[in-house]
Amino acid sequence: MILDSKIPDGPLAEKWDRHRFECKLVNPANKRKFDIIVVGAGLAGASASASLAELGYNVKTFCLQDSPRRGHSIAAQGGINAAKNYQNDGDSIFRLFYDTIKGGDFRAREANVYRLAQVSNNIIDQCVAQGVPFAREYGGQLANRSFGGAQVSRTFYARGQTGQQLLLGAYSALMRQVKKGKVEMLSRREMLDVVVIDGQARGIVTRNMLSGVIETHAAHAVVLATGGYGNVYFLSTNAMGSNVTAAWRAYKRGAYFANPCFVQIHPTCIPVHGTYQSKLTLMSESLRNDGRVWVPKNPGDTRPPTEIPENERDYYLENKYPSFGNLVPRDVASRNAKEQCDQGKGVGSTGLAVYLDFSEAISRDGSGVITRKYGNLFHMYEKITAANPMHEPMMIFPAVHYTMGGLWVDYNLMSTIPGLFVLGEANFSDHGANRLGASALMQGLADGYFVIPYTIGNYLATISSSPQDTSHQAFKQVADEAAAKIGQLLAINGKKTVDEIHRELGLLMWDSCGMSRNEAGLQQALARLPAIREEFWQNVAIPGSGQELNQSLERAGRVADFLEFAELMVIDALSRKESCGCHFREESQTEENEAKRDDANHAHVSVWEYTGDGNSPEFHKEPLAFENVQPSQRSYK
Amino acid sequence: MSDIQLTLKIWRQEGPDAPGRFQSYASGPISTDMSFLEMLDVLNERLTGEGAEPVAFDHDCREGICGMCGAVVNGHSHGPEKETTLCQLHMRHFNDGDTLVIEPFRARAFRIEKDLVVDRSGLDKMITAGGFVSVNTGGAPDANAIPIPQKNAEEAMDAAACIGCGACVAACPNASAMLFVAAKVSHLSLLPQGHPERARRALDMVSEMDELGFGNCSNERECEAACPKGISIRNIARLNREFLKAAIFSDED
Amino acid sequence: MGWIGSLYRSSVGKKSIMAASGLLLSLFLLTHLLGNSLSFLGREAFNAYAEKLHSVGDLLYIVEAGLLFLFLIHIITGIILYLENLQARPSRYSVSTSEGGRSWGSRTMPYTGVIIFVFIIVHLLNFHFTDKSVPVADLVRGLLSRPPMAFFYIISLLAVALHLSHGVWSLFQSIGFNHDKYNGVLLKGALAFSILVGTVFILIPVLALVSRSFLL
Repeated sequence: MILDSKIPDGPLAEKWDRHRFECKLVNPANKRKFDIIVVGAGLAGASASASLAELGYNVKTFCLQDSPRRGHSIAAQGGINAAKNYQNDGDSIFRLFYDTIKGGDFRAREANVYRLAQVSNNIIDQCVAQGVPFAREYGGQLANRSFGGAQVSRTFYARGQTGQQLLLGAYSALMRQVKKGKVEMLSRREMLDVVVIDGQARGIVTRNMLSGVIETHAAHAVVLATGGYGNVYFLSTNAMGSNVTAAWRAYKRGAYFANPCFVQIHPTCIPVHGTYQSKLTLMSESLRNDGRVWVPKNPGDTRPPTEIPENERDYYLENKYPSFGNLVPRDVASRNAKEQCDQGKGVGSTGLAVYLDFSEAISRDGSGVITRKYGNLFHMYEKITAANPMHEPMMIFPAVHYTMGGLWVDYNLMSTIPGLFVLGEANFSDHGANRLGASALMQGLADGYFVIPYTIGNYLATISSSPQDTSHQAFKQVADEAAAKIGQLLAINGKKTVDEIHRELGLLMWDSCGMSRNEAGLQQALARLPAIREEFWQNVAIPGSGQELNQSLERAGRVADFLEFAELMVIDALSRKESCGCHFREESQTEENEAKRDDANHAHVSVWEYTGDGNSPEFHKEPLAFENVQPSQRSYK
Repeated sequence: MSDIQLTLKIWRQEGPDAPGRFQSYASGPISTDMSFLEMLDVLNERLTGEGAEPVAFDHDCREGICGMCGAVVNGHSHGPEKETTLCQLHMRHFNDGDTLVIEPFRARAFRIEKDLVVDRSGLDKMITAGGFVSVNTGGAPDANAIPIPQKNAEEAMDAAACIGCGACVAACPNASAMLFVAAKVSHLSLLPQGHPERARRALDMVSEMDELGFGNCSNERECEAACPKGISIRNIARLNREFLKAAIFSDED
Repeated sequence: MGWIGSLYRSSVGKKSIMAASGLLLSLFLLTHLLGNSLSFLGREAFNAYAEKLHSVGDLLYIVEAGLLFLFLIHIITGIILYLENLQARPSRYSVSTSEGGRSWGSRTMPYTGVIIFVFIIVHLLNFHFTDKSVPVADLVRGLLSRPPMAFFYIISLLAVALHLSHGVWSLFQSIGFNHDKYNGVLLKGALAFSILVGTVFILIPVLALVSRSFLL
């Protein structure tokens, strides 16, 4: 199969307009004949569900939490970008597009990113109309802050809870449609598989997480908005429930997976402090606006930070990148922190942390201003670490945060399975090899509010609107397979807990496929993964039964998929022999240890096709053409 | 960092209709840097190893924002620390030898599903009743078209910070959901976008709350004290105002 | 008029009715308090006040009927709320403790309410459904110089004060009055009111018990 990204012709700025015009329409009377399944109720899922229901489609929305208000989008702190140029500082749609493409180290599609920048403004309008309480200036106008990877202030925010407020806005729109009877909301349901009939996505199989009942659901189209796979590392800033299962099962049913090795490591997280630790907590990147990153100049300096004099501190980001300073993109900031720690200059009990210091900002702006800006973040930091950043520098370290890779989609956000659409973090489309801060919220909402409502019609108009039900034997077959897998898991009766094996997998991936990667390490991981998988299927312990709320079983199912998926990540990382964005291949670096891209050989999306268990996935290449920007070696100096 | 040992008395209940009971566990050594849920993880790992059923509890983000976790610890919703969710509660706040009684949020409107897991779908139902602005995607005016005084935006944000965890209901002596409803009604009545539907919203959300079997507010202020986001009962006064205005003066019925 | 029914059926409506009746009853209490304070000026002043009150005639019956109505509304609504609230949490917590919001006044509202109810009946039997030809000062002295009755009055009036300590602030909250600018004043004012009411009313049985000259 040849990958057709279906990017419209014409000048960049007109592509989306032209495409919207060319998209086939479903007339209003026919829309109510179409059923759409949306899996996931984060920003992308909730906004898509609401918008599709508003158009008249019948929507069934699924989430694995007890309420659709809890998707992990809720945890995004810093903000959402838009090219409003309210600050008159030279922002424009083109600049947002350019920053995003450059921030992604020229590994994203121009047309998708431009569309994202175009609709960014509509998102802010929409959210304000829903009652999202964005921060405001005294005059009542919207406030903006700046963020890493950009030199303009274009980030809209609601304190440190922007993701929460945007999600609650989308959730309220969703619940409004539930009231109208246009959305059927099914909570505490985990998608176990997608049902493909005659090459088209026709439904899903879910497990009712309370009763354990395996259910089948039919529809004319299936939309996956199931988030990222950062939890493959065990420790990440993702929610505990975030998983790759939906995307992975779709992959195994014929959806291609793109750039699985692109994982963003966020530079400002609270350092790891114990083996029992279950997750890592991110401190908003906005902290880098006023916080200065430093380490002691002398390796092994164990004095408390306040006792280290100014001339013995190395403000390494400011020194190395004078023009962006502490606001370099995430991948650069993360890698530099690792580099400092590798040189023995890391701080804290583990030596795996750097300081983020607010003392200068506090003496410049006063503690009142800093408290207003970051009070809730400081509070959160203090709760976890028992240290107050007003009095001593924060300690931070990079942590797995976001996955740019995901299911491959075309310009319509449709995967290689016709009728299966993928939105938000679950797809690969807009961030290239590195995502800029405050762009995830933008993409989730762009996909859900302003892209899928048009592009899904283009697909539905080509298929029959005859009612769908689950009577086709494919539903029974897929449901039986899902049930059999659960039975298999419960029958293992081994000795190790799911978390033990997950932790082992995570450590391996962090060491070999984390912040920096090399051939040898990746090969080792590739050799080691089957053994861990084997250990899992021979020796995992899952108490309880399948006919009840069984959290061990839920986790086991997810880890089983992570164990398979990890291999694809490593294979992808091996095949991309260049460094780009988050993907730092030690073999490919400049003399100054910066990432060195190889546009001649790697200016493409790596797309993987499932060819059966035990077989190597088939590699496909989607070449990336840059007609409007000139790929350059990123420089934030 | 140091280790402490605790006695955990945890509510175990197999299903909604099964009888529940407390079961005691020795915690084993617990690092004071652990979060409360990590302490439960450690217990569950051990139970799993022993072939016993781990304790079921809801949780997801573990950074205090998704609102999924929550239990009553020694009579306190989300434990004894102020403005802290259970996942953000750290074991350094407990002492060696303490006994912790851990029970689920209890209310008629919150059915117990298993152990510490409860059904809070009532909260969603109240939002469904009217906790939204009726605006379709597209066609919104420019975001800066209607200026909103900073103070109003901030106050709306104070109310909108609700994470929907249900601790207010759990802590209320009457299992009332007034703080939850009040937070949403306040958030939207403080912003011009919410004004066209404010009367309808207040009436519908309160009537849904009553139907779901939550109790009546008696201004005990326990909800405010238990709220992990510090949402003020001032919002309840505002809800009362909005409701009475709607019930007595508006054309809505 | 369906809206009154739906208002009463709603939780917030019932609370506002508790608040409104509570407010009016508090105002009655205030006038009662002012009248009773005349006892401190001596028996002539006190008797004169009682006679004056009785001389208004039919108007007094209307006021009494109004008061009875208010009490009934307040009591019946209170009982409904109490029962509904009990049902809202069928299984109790094994550890019951306060998050720090409750006060002694708020947690004892239903119980102080019951004490006040019993007290009002006794009080009415003592002073209302009785021989009105006896001067009121003698009536008070005769009753309250007896220690058991005096203690009953003192305890009941403490219950009144406790009930008010929460009720007065709470009624403002229930009708939607809560503002940063006035909250401090309101909270302190409500507390001061309950202390004032408690002190002045309790002073009468106390004086009747210990003072040889009170109302003589």
